[in-house]
Amino acid sequence: MTSTAPSPTVPDRVDEPLGTVVLDGVSKWFGDQLAVDSLDLRVEPGEFLSLLGPSGCGKTTTLRMLAGFEHPDEGGIRISGNSVLGLPPYRRDVNTVFQAFALFPHLSVAENVGYGLVQKRVAKSEIRDRVVEALDLVQMRRFADRKPTMLSGGQQQRVALARAIINRPSVLLLDEPLGALDRQLREEMQVELKLLQSRLGMTFVFVTHDQEEALSMSDRVAVMREGRLEQLADAHTVYGEPASAYVAGFIGRQNFFEGTADAVGALVTAHGTVRGREAVPTGTTAKAAIRPEDVTVEAAASGPSGGEENAVHGRLAGVSHLGDTLQYLVELGDGFTLLCRRPRPGAPALEPGDAVRASWHASSVLLFHT
Amino acid sequence: MTSQITTPRPRQDASRTPPSRKRQGKWWLPKPLLALPAWAWLLIFFVAPVGQVLWFSFGYKPGIFGTHANDVLSFDRYAEALSPTFFLTFQNTLWVGIAGTLICLIIAFPVAYWMALKAPLSRRGLLIALVMVPYWANFLVRTIGWQVILAPEGWLSHLLQGLGLTNEPLEILYTRTAVLIGVVYNYLPLMILPLFVAFDRVELPLREASKDLGANRWSTLTQVTIPLAKPGIIVGCLLVFIPLMGDYITATVLGGARGNMIGQLVASQFQTAQNWALGSAMAVLLMLIILLTVAVAALIVWVASRPFAWRRRLVIGEDS
Repeated sequence: MTSTAPSPTVPDRVDEPLGTVVLDGVSKWFGDQLAVDSLDLRVEPGEFLSLLGPSGCGKTTTLRMLAGFEHPDEGGIRISGNSVLGLPPYRRDVNTVFQAFALFPHLSVAENVGYGLVQKRVAKSEIRDRVVEALDLVQMRRFADRKPTMLSGGQQQRVALARAIINRPSVLLLDEPLGALDRQLREEMQVELKLLQSRLGMTFVFVTHDQEEALSMSDRVAVMREGRLEQLADAHTVYGEPASAYVAGFIGRQNFFEGTADAVGALVTAHGTVRGREAVPTGTTAKAAIRPEDVTVEAAASGPSGGEENAVHGRLAGVSHLGDTLQYLVELGDGFTLLCRRPRPGAPALEPGDAVRASWHASSVLLFHT
Repeated sequence: MTSQITTPRPRQDASRTPPSRKRQGKWWLPKPLLALPAWAWLLIFFVAPVGQVLWFSFGYKPGIFGTHANDVLSFDRYAEALSPTFFLTFQNTLWVGIAGTLICLIIAFPVAYWMALKAPLSRRGLLIALVMVPYWANFLVRTIGWQVILAPEGWLSHLLQGLGLTNEPLEILYTRTAVLIGVVYNYLPLMILPLFVAFDRVELPLREASKDLGANRWSTLTQVTIPLAKPGIIVGCLLVFIPLMGDYITATVLGGARGNMIGQLVASQFQTAQNWALGSAMAVLLMLIILLTVAVAALIVWVASRPFAWRRRLVIGEDS
């Protein structure tokens, strides 16, 4: 095994607190496909960090390299200050909650949870106590002696969680653990997971393609694209100040307008002039992004008036109910549809087919150079 | 907004009954009737022949030209069957059966493991085909092939002598060792295939979860992979052991006088001696021996695995 030898640039041991995860220029190839591209990432102890991105962005590969199921072709990985290069999964101080739970079908719930302790040759009486403790933590004590196949998805999820935390790893890795659950259960588990994490003070690295999930639970979100880190910031920043048009489009919905800047720095697009907070250098092309909830829609009193900024006229194509908000689809012509979301109280009563005017404030416009 | 208290509508009306089953489908048969082909198959090709053999075994050979008669029923054929020759052959058969099954298991285990879990997915079809290729040739032809190889003047003998590994011609043919080589060769695919399927069903995430929880390769093999593959291992052993015990072609071709098996005794009673009654009694004894051996083997495995199972067992109970 050549990978056991530490490369000269990565010291074997660095003074970092327990639970710190550091990826140092990590790359991973699958054949001629670059899955992870010189990724630098530092997860602080006790932090809840989400790796967010579409499938194939390298987030699961990154997690598997932390777990030890894949080994990086370049770069170094340190967990709690120790290089884990070449270290097999069973010698790493991390545990994983798997996507499909991966509970052992031949063992009972209690035996599943106790599996990690059996491997560490912990005394049987202590195993029993700690299994009960872990099952209590996820409220699964009642099901201790059942087989996992007799449990519902949510219950299996809790068992998988208990099994992964019983070894008290300094880092817990979660590979889309809520993906198999239905929406309501998923939202409940999001809250429970977050509470559990703050109670245990464990570092959580959470992989998901669901931006809502990432935003609701994480201290910081790492948005990945094609094996690279697109933005690493807290949920508020990722949502409010996306670093790129890609992040803006991936986190929540966006209305994008592309155009060329005029003499005063406003963007001239096919559907009107869009002005943002700052001026775009004259003559350059840029992309403007406006969130649906920042767009107001009203019945159009008159037709489009020339020279109006940050407003468009169109025909209402449809209204849909999203629960606490109403979503309006405004057709602007050329097949371009503008999304607008208003909170239910005070949402304008409009019928499909109505002529409408949609407008927004310059402060809500995000500009990205193209 | 006026609030209004509504009484909940009863969810179940007692008078409602599930719609009649007969109206649901276009045609309707009682379910046991649908299993008729399977029952008929079992009855005609298994119960009836075994019953007939059992019936014959209580009869006798009426004369030089008769094969069986049942007008006087007795256990005499069984007494006759349990001769010293039978015991010797029985010992031999059991030895070949158990050794052959174990050798097949030892060879097939790593092969099937590698095929199912390590070999590239794109090569699997080819590997399975390679396991099956010998089956395209006739059983007898394949066995005679070994006769050629193992003969004292065969190429293996010459090769070994040429390499200086032995000074004398190979004296394996017409011994128990030759029979053992033959049966392992002939029955190996029957062990590899069920083991392959069994290992294939042990999903990768389960083995990864095991390693993630601190189990090394060996612990993962013994605590996850083998327990989950257990049904396939049992099936493989039965698929090899049972036909092997009754096999007489391999023993006839490779065993000669020193490598006799019960199957040959049975066959000779039916074909050469024309004593169907005695042959039937021997066949019944063979079946009983196979059942007994399997039961004893199961018991041994069960008893041997108790300490391990007990050590792993963890019962929490419902209490507070």
